Amino acid sequence: MSIQVLLDEFKAVASSPKQQLDNFKAQGKKVIGVLPYYAPEELVYAAGLVPMGMWGSNTKNISRAKEYCATFYCTIAQLALEMLLDGTMDQLDGIITPTICDTLRPMSQNYRVSMGDKMPVIFLAHPQNRFAPWGLQFTIDQYTSVKTELEKIAGKEITNDDINNAIKVYNKSRAVRREFVKLANDHCDIIKPTIRSAVLKAAWFMLKDEYTEKLEALNAELKALPVCDWQGTKVVTSGIICDNPALLAAFEENNVAIAADDVAHESRAFLWDAAEDEADAMMALAKQFAAIDYEVLLYDPKSAENRRGEFVANMVKESGAQGLVLFMQQFCDPEEMEYPYLKKALDDAGIPHIKLGIDQQMRDFGQARTAIQAFADVLELNK
Amino acid sequence: MSAIYTLGIDVGSTASKCIILKDGTEIVAKSLVDVGTGTSGPQRAIEAVLAEAGMKKEDLHYTLATGYGRNSLTGIADKQMSELSCHAKGACFLFPNVHTVIDIGGQDVKVLHIENGAMVNFQMNDKCAAGTGRFLDVMARVLEVKVEDLGRLGAMSTKEVGISSTCTVFAESEVISQLAMGTDKCDIIDGIHRSVAGRVTGLAHRVGIVPDVVMTGGVAQNSGIVNALKKQLGCEIHTSPLTQYNGALGAALFAYQVAARKAK
Repeated sequence: MSIQVLLDEFKAVASSPKQQLDNFKAQGKKVIGVLPYYAPEELVYAAGLVPMGMWGSNTKNISRAKEYCATFYCTIAQLALEMLLDGTMDQLDGIITPTICDTLRPMSQNYRVSMGDKMPVIFLAHPQNRFAPWGLQFTIDQYTSVKTELEKIAGKEITNDDINNAIKVYNKSRAVRREFVKLANDHCDIIKPTIRSAVLKAAWFMLKDEYTEKLEALNAELKALPVCDWQGTKVVTSGIICDNPALLAAFEENNVAIAADDVAHESRAFLWDAAEDEADAMMALAKQFAAIDYEVLLYDPKSAENRRGEFVANMVKESGAQGLVLFMQQFCDPEEMEYPYLKKALDDAGIPHIKLGIDQQMRDFGQARTAIQAFADVLELNK
Repeated sequence: MSAIYTLGIDVGSTASKCIILKDGTEIVAKSLVDVGTGTSGPQRAIEAVLAEAGMKKEDLHYTLATGYGRNSLTGIADKQMSELSCHAKGACFLFPNVHTVIDIGGQDVKVLHIENGAMVNFQMNDKCAAGTGRFLDVMARVLEVKVEDLGRLGAMSTKEVGISSTCTVFAESEVISQLAMGTDKCDIIDGIHRSVAGRVTGLAHRVGIVPDVVMTGGVAQNSGIVNALKKQLGCEIHTSPLTQYNGALGAALFAYQVAARKAK
């Protein structure tokens, strides 16, 4: 299959989660909405259900969700609810609401109240102290609660073998996405920022084995091509989410490629695998969560060493980028509070960066386009 | 070799400015129309600058657009660049020792750090009108004074009045409250100037203040803002009579670089 055909398919999926949901329902499948961050999608897959990521929307405005939400909730959480209330995603058979940040924690109850009897709302509280045996046990207890609720929806028991099989499917999917990110850097003339985003975003709306097969085909096509001689500049992107094609088009207008990312919706979602040889598959998932590192949203016992900032700075250097663009989601407390540490690490490493304030209801990116164009001029000097 | 004429057009959010340069050194003509992108302003500014120079568009070797509406000049401009790069270029032309440029425009604020004549770092305001020219327009309307009189009136202040620097909407409410309490307009205006300066100072410190500090953009014509910034930043701030044309000047200088390369 040609690269263009594959890319068009990913773009079509990424731009229409509603269509994907309709397709799954037409096939008689049950679908579970999965909110950010770090929900064990493997359990959904193991139950024979379809997980669909819910990371807000770039095309909707908050209206009905205002009845339930405080104004300082991020637009990702509010627009996810909006889509449940306005009929876009209300065919879901349930949603999982992780509670890792100060918005998602109360928001989990807003989802529960607003959905009433319409669909099960599955609460998930990850522990911040996740490394010690009792931390791992807490994660297992929480995941067991999620598993029990999913079993009720699926009408079947989720066995240890089911979970182990799902772990294999997901590990492969993560590995293929990590490979794609590297290939996208090598072939940034083809995998432009809008396309890169669409390919990675589509993963949230497809069954992972189907997605992996398609992405493997794309990777094979890219590998067969010579590495491009990129004459523009390259950046690393950072933030929670940056999937708005209108905003990413500003990168393309100014010949700025994305060499790698530190984005929760993209690479941060597939950096960490679960062990495939663990006798207890639930423990494998708990250990996978405990292993997550360099993460804004999770406790780092060595945070005073600014390991995360240095990790991101090294990512810029190792990927061949000249700078970093931080997408600061409005009202995202974890990202706002982490920014001074990231800035310090980047400044210490001599890496220029810009911070773009965004939210998902923005439709005009004039100021961001100006900043990206000016940043491209600065980066050109640093090449 | 015959002279090279280049045109720089700065299509801002509230004004359109043009400059024609001869050989990248001599300002031949300039024009300013008080409406910006999406209006007849850019076209009128181009017609005015050509008329002042006694030139036709065909006489220009290269035209470069900048400003918020820089992408709207298809078929007129040969190239477009961000206003940050152009303001840096213009400021370096006017003040060769510049290291920091503060540009307060109609709807945003930028602070640029310059090294060896090139911008190496910058900060822009958040998506908010506080601290911008638009903020001053709103306040002038509420106070029933002309925006160009703000500097003169603020200088007559005798009492310190605090105005929020957080948000244009909140600040407008505060100004209305102050008026209702009978506070002198000059004191309110002085408070507004300090409010804007406070906002810009915070942004400037993120980049770092390295002398010489130059202020550009239309708001630099307001002596009240300039003086408040001098106090809050604790350093001299240089301005130029060409301050509002600085972006257009930078655009004309970049245009000359391209035209001169092509002429070789």
